[in-house]
Amino acid sequence: MTSSMNNALEKVKNAIKNVKIIEIDEREAKIEVESENTLPVLSILKGEGYFHLSLLTAVDWMEKNEFELIYILYSWNDGGKFIVSTKIDREKAEFVTVMHMWPVARFYERELHEFFGIKFAGNNDMKPLFLENWDDIPPLRKDFDPLEYSKKKFPEREYQKDIIHEAKIIRGDING
Amino acid sequence: MGEVKFFFGPNHPGMHGNFSVHMYVEGDTVVRAKPVPGFLHRGFEKLMERRLWYQNLALVPRICVPEPDINEMCYAMGIEKLAGVEVPERAQWIRMIILELARIANHFMSFAGIGGPLGLYTGPFWGVADRDKILDIFESLTGARIYHMYIVPGGVRKDMPPKIQDMILKTLEYIESRLDDYDNIIFKNRIVHTRLKGIALLDRNTALEMGVTGIGIRATGVPYDIRKIDPYLFYDKVEFEVPVATEGDAYSRLRLKFLEIPQSIKIIKQALEKMPEGKVNVPISEGNALRFRVPKGQVYVHVEATRGEYGYFIVSDGGEKPYRVTIRGASYPQTLYGIEKYLPGTRIEDVPIWLDTMGICSPEVDR
Repeated sequence: MTSSMNNALEKVKNAIKNVKIIEIDEREAKIEVESENTLPVLSILKGEGYFHLSLLTAVDWMEKNEFELIYILYSWNDGGKFIVSTKIDREKAEFVTVMHMWPVARFYERELHEFFGIKFAGNNDMKPLFLENWDDIPPLRKDFDPLEYSKKKFPEREYQKDIIHEAKIIRGDING
Repeated sequence: MGEVKFFFGPNHPGMHGNFSVHMYVEGDTVVRAKPVPGFLHRGFEKLMERRLWYQNLALVPRICVPEPDINEMCYAMGIEKLAGVEVPERAQWIRMIILELARIANHFMSFAGIGGPLGLYTGPFWGVADRDKILDIFESLTGARIYHMYIVPGGVRKDMPPKIQDMILKTLEYIESRLDDYDNIIFKNRIVHTRLKGIALLDRNTALEMGVTGIGIRATGVPYDIRKIDPYLFYDKVEFEVPVATEGDAYSRLRLKFLEIPQSIKIIKQALEKMPEGKVNVPISEGNALRFRVPKGQVYVHVEATRGEYGYFIVSDGGEKPYRVTIRGASYPQTLYGIEKYLPGTRIEDVPIWLDTMGICSPEVDR
């Protein structure tokens, strides 16, 4: 890891107990924190030069019954990146917003609400962004089956024989 | 005067793909603006979870239509990082050549994009025609013009024959000879100066707050480029400069695109020189390529696209399919947050200029 990454990690370790650090490679590390410590960790890292929020996303771990929220912070000074991850309950999918730190997070959170059903306290704008007239469970959850959904939504139709017959005549396969 | 609601798009000559903006205007100034994405939502992230690692290769280039190669690169780089595979040197150089050719092609395309809002159609015709010369290289090398599926995990699909090296050098020579013409027709043009200089301003602090990357931020004097700061492939072994401007207006953003073309040519020439002979791919796992398994883990990889930071977050559970893939579109911040926050105050006729020079690309936002 780079020296500025080490400094930032030292600060995080001093301020907050119970952080698990996994080194991925020389410029990338993952920090696993508990949900109540997430915002303090993010604000420490932001103050240490990791001010660019590259991505905010979620992973559905259905078997463990939890969502993993992922914040990717990037430093333009030395190219170091931190994957800050926290786990929240899948049944009661709620977390707090980071809009006050990164205004663009509003749209990432809106997207996560649409695709995973995660609510963010403090972010009131939770209207659907991409999907139109959606009437099933949020689609990126692992228990959503697109095949079943499309079968239900768009039932299979039997093609009438005379249409095929007509098509064959047009193509010249048979003589009408 | 009362407020009137106007619609920009979903179809507009200045946009790559379908994207709409609902604008509330007073006189001819935008008071409020609302981005309406979703016209190109194809559910890529869900589709990828249900396909094998190798099958997804045919899917990923379709995410960003004007510049598909960065998707293949990110996806391959992520898998290689998870699997701990060392990519052969020759393959890395070939990848660099492909990415830089794609960058030039995309910049030519953006000269075409700006033609619509300006009403200046000579540059666009030239841009599209010269882009075609690069697509010809891609066709000879990979068999496809737009979606190549050429950069695969572990290297590239096939070796580059010497015949194509000559073709690349010839095309680069031709493009270099054309640059003066472009300079005259676009950047010394009175129409372009009047319509672009001082228009669609974005200052440094706003751009940093928004999380804008790429040309959007480099036009405000900040030399942020992932190729320099977090070098992937062999960008640390070639010499090139990152053009920077300080004005932060539409003209400087378009100018930076133009100034990047000679730098890309320089990179390709160095890559062709330094490229050694040898293997071009290694398997990422044992057994049948379709049934490759990728070790458990999470990784975030990003590259410098023409519009900024383009990233993939990949999660593997050790199986034959990705567990979760998230794509960070390079223009995500300016498309959604930027339009709502910084479009108000712009005149109606400057809206397409704002959208085009900020590099807004709807397919990568909708996914």
